[in-house]
Amino acid sequence: MTPKWIGIVILLVAAFVESFAQTFLKVGAAGGPRILSSPYKEFVSRYRLSTSKNAWIAAGVLFYGVQILLWTLVLHLLDVSIAFPMDSLCFVGVALLSMTFLGEEVGTVRWLGVFCILSGTILLAL
Amino acid sequence: MKKIPKAVIAGLVLAIVLDTIVQISWKLAVTGIPENASIPATALGAFSGIFFYFALLAFAAQYFNWMQVLARADLSFAQPITALSYITVLVISDRSLNEKISLIKVCGVALILLGVYFISRTSYKTHHVNHP
Repeated sequence: MTPKWIGIVILLVAAFVESFAQTFLKVGAAGGPRILSSPYKEFVSRYRLSTSKNAWIAAGVLFYGVQILLWTLVLHLLDVSIAFPMDSLCFVGVALLSMTFLGEEVGTVRWLGVFCILSGTILLAL
Repeated sequence: MKKIPKAVIAGLVLAIVLDTIVQISWKLAVTGIPENASIPATALGAFSGIFFYFALLAFAAQYFNWMQVLARADLSFAQPITALSYITVLVISDRSLNEKISLIKVCGVALILLGVYFISRTSYKTHHVNHP
């Protein structure tokens, strides 16, 4: 693989990690796993640590740390004009995770908003 | 559609302001450091200026503010709205860092604004039956 492709793969991982970081922070901010949707709520309830909101916040902060490291690596491998709009893929990631794990209603209008923002950031990077 | 509470709006505005401060001060902190400098040299260069500490302070403030926003609003509502900081950074960079804004960038800005408008038209918080 060329450095460019390695960079793109790391970037996709970074966007994925950032989306999870946001989701964990949201669970922490909302007071704990009770906001999770089924069956994830039942799944995490098997682990005592999951009832602590601070554990979720810590996981979010940890994932953010990993994301910053990955992002620094990406900027060594890729041009900002590719990296910058691809990073905004985490808007899509956050919408998907919020829908799946947090049971948030992401309707057509909200998706339309997300894709407008994604297209906008691509144009900004050109 | 539920009316967006003032606390959520204030939190989102503050999030965008702090995000802008983080990005601009980070940019100023690394300005002047040669691009081919080693990672330790880049870090040392950044630490020696005041802007790095500005960025750090704003980053910490951002964390506390963001947790307040997330406690009140949907993640899928709040997070994309912070994309407005792409615009504020662009506008400030143009004024003070001599970056040119092209027609394509103007279209990009318009699309981001449109996207944020769409999102602001959705309910800021999903109503859950089991945990209101």
